[in-house]
Amino acid sequence: MASTRDIRRRIKSVKNTRQITKAMELVAASKMKKAQQAALAGRPYAELMARMLAAIADRVEEAQHPFLVKREVKTRGIILVTSDKGLAGPLNANLFKIVTEIKTPAKYVAVGRKGAQFIARTHRDLLADFSVTDRVAFAEVKVVAEFMVKQYLEGAVDTVEILWPRFRNTLVQTPTLLPLLPLASVRDVIADLKSDAGHTPAAAPGAAEQQMIFEPDPLSVLNALLPLYVNREIHQQVLDAKASEHSARMVAMKTAKDNATKLLGELTLEYNKARQAAITQEILEIAAAQFAA
Amino acid sequence: MPLTLEIVTPDARVYTATIDTVVIPTVEGEVGILPGHIPLLAQVEHGELRVTKGSDNQLLAVSGGFVEVEGDRVHVLAEHAITEEKIDEKAVEEALKRAEQELAEAKDIDPAQYERLQNLVRYSGVQLGLKRRRR
Repeated sequence: MASTRDIRRRIKSVKNTRQITKAMELVAASKMKKAQQAALAGRPYAELMARMLAAIADRVEEAQHPFLVKREVKTRGIILVTSDKGLAGPLNANLFKIVTEIKTPAKYVAVGRKGAQFIARTHRDLLADFSVTDRVAFAEVKVVAEFMVKQYLEGAVDTVEILWPRFRNTLVQTPTLLPLLPLASVRDVIADLKSDAGHTPAAAPGAAEQQMIFEPDPLSVLNALLPLYVNREIHQQVLDAKASEHSARMVAMKTAKDNATKLLGELTLEYNKARQAAITQEILEIAAAQFAA
Repeated sequence: MPLTLEIVTPDARVYTATIDTVVIPTVEGEVGILPGHIPLLAQVEHGELRVTKGSDNQLLAVSGGFVEVEGDRVHVLAEHAITEEKIDEKAVEEALKRAEQELAEAKDIDPAQYERLQNLVRYSGVQLGLKRRRR
């Protein structure tokens, strides 16, 4: 049986752990609230923009804009959005699992330190890494988007995809890989989403055949809308990833805190038992000595 | 058949309602949209968006974005949008002053930042104009 001193030492260390995890839980909880609000507020905008693009994609010639042209995919370009810090449960590990399943040649751009470290450690092709603050200002993400678009236009990569932990709710974050460019594949994704939701993609053929007026003209609308779409979409996904990160961290820290509390109870019980045993032993010894005298 | 109008900005869904007509400021001038409009996709300019519903008129200030008309649905994607009642004249005036000062002081400023400030100035101007005319 461990001595009372050993047990006391362990109790102290577990108490410290509990205090730290409790503090981290509180910090994550307050950040989570803000991040979730930001992520949810931006969703209608991103969804509407995706719908608008789907409408255009059906109506314009592919050759009108480089973003619309589907080319043979030799190298995929993937933006990997992870957290900067660890202690967020399985959040990053789940993303890395998806990365290891990608067998086709790909180049990566990492947003967040953990992702950059993973790509470097596993000797994958890392083009650049960026980090964003918790506020996720649009300007910060725009740099990432512009870099990626440049790579795409120069032909260094043939697709632009984004892999991030999609925020569903505080307990559930699903790693998701979404193609952004070329937009021809976006149409497939939207059709997929619709068929998942129970609609058939060919539900409104009449609407798609109808002529659409573009003002001032299709090309300038496309030129304005497409870059905005890419920037906004990436921004939204990074916001989403932040919400996921703080949620995952809060849940992980809550579990850690609960475990520490449970362990503390068990240790205290063991300590009291040991203390009681020592006292009983001492009394027995004194009594025995008196009898002997 | 009434129209459904939806105005969304990156920060929030600003406005959703069933309406009769809407006049939207685009780069080519104002576009009035009535039920049964043919599909349209246009770039939205800074300006006033007028909504009519029965005998009710409502004004909104919007800045740069896009409008899509499809069937009886009108979607507006804007950088900023605000209904007339929510415009806080003092706050806008201050924001305008700050932005103008920054513009005046800025020499070799990042072009994206410059554009953002200019947009802010124009959007503030629209908001003030809208509010003042009503009095």
